Order: sequence, then structure tokens, then C-alpha cells
Amino acid sequence: MPLIKVVMAKMGFDAHYRGAMMVARHLVQRGMEVVYIGNRLPEEIVRTVIDEDAQVLGLSSLSGNHMVMVPRILRLLRQEGVDRVKVLLGGVIPTEDQKELLRQGVAAVFGTGSSLDAIADWIEAAVDHGSDPVQA
Amino acid sequence: MPTDASDALGSTSKDYRTTSGIPVKAVYAPDDIRGFDPLRDLGNPGEPPYTRGVHRDMYRGRLWTIRQLAGFGTPEETNGRFRLLLDQGATGINCVFDFVTNRGFSSDHPLAEGDVGQGGVAIDCLGDMTRLFDGIPIDDVSVSLVLSNPVGAGSIFATYLAMAQQRGIPWETLRGTLQNDFLMETVVLTAPNILEPSFSFRLSVDVVEFCTQHLPQWNPISFAGYNYREAGADAVQEAALVIAHALAVADEMVRRGHPIDSFAPRLSSFFTADNDLFEEVAKYRAARRVYYRLFQERFGPKDPRSSRLRFHVQTSGSALTAQQPLNNITRASYHALAAVLGGAQSLHVSAYDEALCLPSEAAALTALRTQQVLVHETGVTRTADPLAGSYYVEHLTDEMERRILAYLEEIDALGGLVRAVESGWVHRELMGTSYDREIAITSGEKKVVGVDCFTDDVPLQIELFRFPSALEQQRATLEELRLRRDQDDVDRTLGRLREAVERDENTMPHLIAAVQAGASIGECCDVFRALHGGWHQPLL
Repeated sequence: MPLIKVVMAKMGFDAHYRGAMMVARHLVQRGMEVVYIGNRLPEEIVRTVIDEDAQVLGLSSLSGNHMVMVPRILRLLRQEGVDRVKVLLGGVIPTEDQKELLRQGVAAVFGTGSSLDAIADWIEAAVDHGSDPVQA
Repeated sequence: MPTDASDALGSTSKDYRTTSGIPVKAVYAPDDIRGFDPLRDLGNPGEPPYTRGVHRDMYRGRLWTIRQLAGFGTPEETNGRFRLLLDQGATGINCVFDFVTNRGFSSDHPLAEGDVGQGGVAIDCLGDMTRLFDGIPIDDVSVSLVLSNPVGAGSIFATYLAMAQQRGIPWETLRGTLQNDFLMETVVLTAPNILEPSFSFRLSVDVVEFCTQHLPQWNPISFAGYNYREAGADAVQEAALVIAHALAVADEMVRRGHPIDSFAPRLSSFFTADNDLFEEVAKYRAARRVYYRLFQERFGPKDPRSSRLRFHVQTSGSALTAQQPLNNITRASYHALAAVLGGAQSLHVSAYDEALCLPSEAAALTALRTQQVLVHETGVTRTADPLAGSYYVEHLTDEMERRILAYLEEIDALGGLVRAVESGWVHRELMGTSYDREIAITSGEKKVVGVDCFTDDVPLQIELFRFPSALEQQRATLEELRLRRDQDDVDRTLGRLREAVERDENTMPHLIAAVQAGASIGECCDVFRALHGGWHQPLL
């Protein structure tokens, strides 16, 4: 089976990369390929997902910019016809925002305190057979 | 639910260790501190080697500064929070800036849209700084500006100095602190277009040099151990990196021709207070002793203040949980107690909602009250260094000292801290420690109340803090600034700044001239990025 490929990005100016790197490191340990692109504009993030032919896009936000950036990324993915990509969101995301973003098309939200294995397990299941949206 | 007796940090293993891995026995006795010499290893409070604290009568003589962090939205909104905290008994200001500002970009940068005023206040120019401190007695209150990154610290501080000048307040009378820490810029946090570590370090020392000459009461740098810790360091690495950083700055200032006693008394530090109460107290005590001994040994200062480690403490953010958030009040109270038992000069208690959102007014006030309860109800301020002589605490202090020194030797062997950062060694160290800890939590070796034990399904009962975006206002401010300023004047001052960078002159006077001419903070920092940006952070 080919490796699962994950693009990971920080949105806007959010400067906390530790969580994203930790997840990236763990996904690599679990046998996935991870492309970490740092702080980027929505357009650049979606471009990378397409160029890399990734199945999963991991977005991380602890600065509060998620309600501006995530909907824009989802819209661009739809416009580019790559909305089959599973979008995961991690960081500090208030519950009501989680609900709204899941409604808009985020596949799963893993907030602070989520286990690294739970994230990896979810990705494996979702890429293999498609999974239900998760709020964690 | 666990039924066995587990140790203080919830480990069910029989191998008892502190968070940093120091083995712990069931009981300590005189044998465990053999060779301990109170006169040599402790001295009196306010005397070398300062293990017992930097003041003779500690909190009787001078209470720690009650300095709660504040900053969100527009300058006006944050000004309102400052006033509330001062009204309610805070004794210092602690201002946090949004990432866009802190990294020295303009609020109308295309990447900034979701981040303006988030996580801190948005500041773009001198006018913003004037509004931020409107009516705040900066000639009286000590003001900490959490300008973490040297790329932006100089220009934002320049707007503060220009604002003071406008108000007729002489710089010599200003009291406060800048963070100005090149590890924040190159290791701890990330951003687009990062400065080379050696240049970021140089800018930080420019500020130290400028303050040495013009602001004798200002702490121009604060080595941000707190953030190293939140980024993955353990207590040993936290203290060692702080001390390595202080030594690097002192070396550079001496190289620039400044006598040690002209600047060292104003170097300051910043630590976390995390869960492991006794290890944290031992960390502060050991750090003071190592700092004293190394400054004496390497620089031979005449002024006793040059080798005193003074520090601010912020209680841990990463130890707080989104689940059962009111538990965080309890956690932060223990953290604050550790800071006070360890002799902190200044304290911020984190708010109970910090794992969920920026602190609401209610959460910020509860954190302030936590400090006031400590001061007025617990009696901890009565006597200096109350844990001195405890077999356990002295043993831990000695062990911390040994490990800090060993870590410092490793950094020295790499050619010092700036080289260690350039090579990616510091990144790898912090990443490794935090990944190991995360795996320990995942594997159930460590327990967190309300997260993986004693959980419940009670819905969240606190109100999350929300505020309007600052983007519109900051865009309008920048537009107006560009319309009314004399563009030639701006170009000329920015040109001089560029020459100062190229000629290795101190950048501070040129930053002040540029912001006075109407340059935005983003434009000043673009000069730095154009010449020394584009560093590739060695992350994975």
C-alpha cells in the first residue's frame, strides 16, 4: 500500500508550531509521509495539497485565526475540486467553532490534550474507508 | 479510577522521579546532603551566592510585583484592561502583543487577516502606542512589554520611547522590561521570513547597549526560560538555557567595550512555575547559585548586583487543561506558591480559561485574586526562603545545580548558545524532550486530572471571551499614517537604518528616528528582513 501523505501547515501568523511538529513527528513514526510547510496563505496551502497529491491536510491554530482561515481553505479546496482531501484541525478551538467548522467540511478536530495515537488512528481509518466527522 | 497510591505526578511506576528525571527517595535524611555547607552553598538572603534570594528581607522589604498579562484587540481595548487591573490592585503592567506586531509585520500584511489583535494587542505605529498607554502613569508603574522577538522589539520599543518623550517623561525615569530574546524568534516560535540567529542576537544586544546608555532603570532583556519550557524543555534545560543566554549577552557586551558592571545588573530572566512543586523551588534556588558563580568566575564584577539572578515568573500555561477548566485555578495556585517559595521578583498567575481562549475579565480577575490571597492570607511572605535546610529541597537544589552545569558544558562545547541555535541542536533538544513527554502521557504513564482520569460529561460552564476584530481599525490607522506623513522623511530615516545595519552601528537611535518620522513598525522590520531574513529553521 502506498504511504499516506499528509500536508501540515500553520495558518497566518500563528507562531506556536510545537503541537504541529509533534503530530508530524508521530505520523512519520507511524509510517506516513508528512510535508510541513510552516506559516502560509490559504492559496499556498491548497496549492501544496494539490502539488503533493496529499490525502490529508493538517491545520494547526492556537492564535484564534481559525474562523477566518479555515473556511477560506475549505472553499478553495472545493473550487479546485480536491474536497476529497481530509482536513484535520488541531489546537485551541472553542467547541462552538468546532461544530461550525465540522459543518463546513472539516473532517475532524483534535483539540489540546488529544493523544497522538488517536490522531494517527483516525487518519489511517479515514484514508482507508472514510470516517465520520470527529470532535475531540 | 486509580485505586493504588500513586506518586505526586500520578506515576504508577515504582521508579519515582521528578519531572526532569531526578530520582526521588521515600524520605530524606542528613546523609543525603553530605558535604553541604550552609555558609558556602546558601549564605544569607541578599548575599552571595544568592541561593536564598536576592534581597536580605525578601518580601517584607519588597513584595513581588503583581503583574498580570493583558493584551487583545485594539490599543483602546487593551488600555481598558490595563486600567481595570491597576484599579483592582495590580502593581505592574504586563503587555502582550499579537504575533503580527511581535514579529514586526504590519496589520495589513496578507497573512495577517486572522491574527490582528488575537493573542495580544495590535500595534502598528507611534500613534497606536500613544493610545495604548493613554492615561497610564508610566513614570510611576513598571511596564513589561512582552516583545519577544528582537526583529520587532527595537522598533516597538522605539514607539514607546517616542511616546514617553511626547509626554515629557524622561527616559531615565522609565522602569520596565523587554523580553527581546533571540531564542524566541529562532527556536521557540515560528513565522514567515525569520532572521538569521546571529543577526537576531545582534539586534537584541543593540537594545541592551542602548538601554545601558539611556535607561538605567530598564531591564532591556529577559531570558525567556518560561517559553523554552513551554516549547518542550525540562526544568534543567530551562535554567541552563537562561544562564547560557545571559552569558552570551554578557560576552557580547564586553566585546563591544562595556564594563560588566555597566549593564549586568539590569539583565533579567523569566521562568515558568510548573506542576512539580519542590523541583521548581529547587530550580530557582539552583539557578541563582549557578548564575552567581559563573558571572563571578567569568567576568569578575565589582558590583554585587551584576551576578544576581532576578526573575519574573508566569505560572505554566501548558499544565492547564481545557477539560474541567475551574481545576486550573487550583493548579495555578500551587504554581504561584512554588514561585513565591522560590523567591520570584514578579509574578503572573495564568487564568483558568487559558486552554480555551484569551482570558475573560472574570478569569483575569480570579488570577489577580489568587495572588492577593497568597499575599494577604497564607503568611508566605513573612520570612525569606522558608524551605532552606530541608534535606529534600537542598538535595534537589544540589542535583539541579549539577545538571544545569553539565548542560552548560555541552552548550560551551558547541561554541556557545548562538552556534548551538544555528546548528539546530537546541531545536532537537526541545523537540526530543517534548515528544518523549507526550508519549509518556499518551501511554498512560502520566495522569492529568479531568483529562485521562476523573473525567466527567458535565458541559463547559464558563463563558468564553470574545471580542471584535481589530483588523479594520488597524488598516484605517495605517492608511491614514501613509497619507499624512512626509514620505521623503520616512525614506531618509529608513535609509539610515539600513546603513546602520550594514555598518554594524547600533540600530536603536535610527529606529526611534524612523518611527518619529512616521515609519510603521512593519517597514522598519522589513529593512532587517531584506538584509538578514530568510533563515531556514531546522525543525523536523
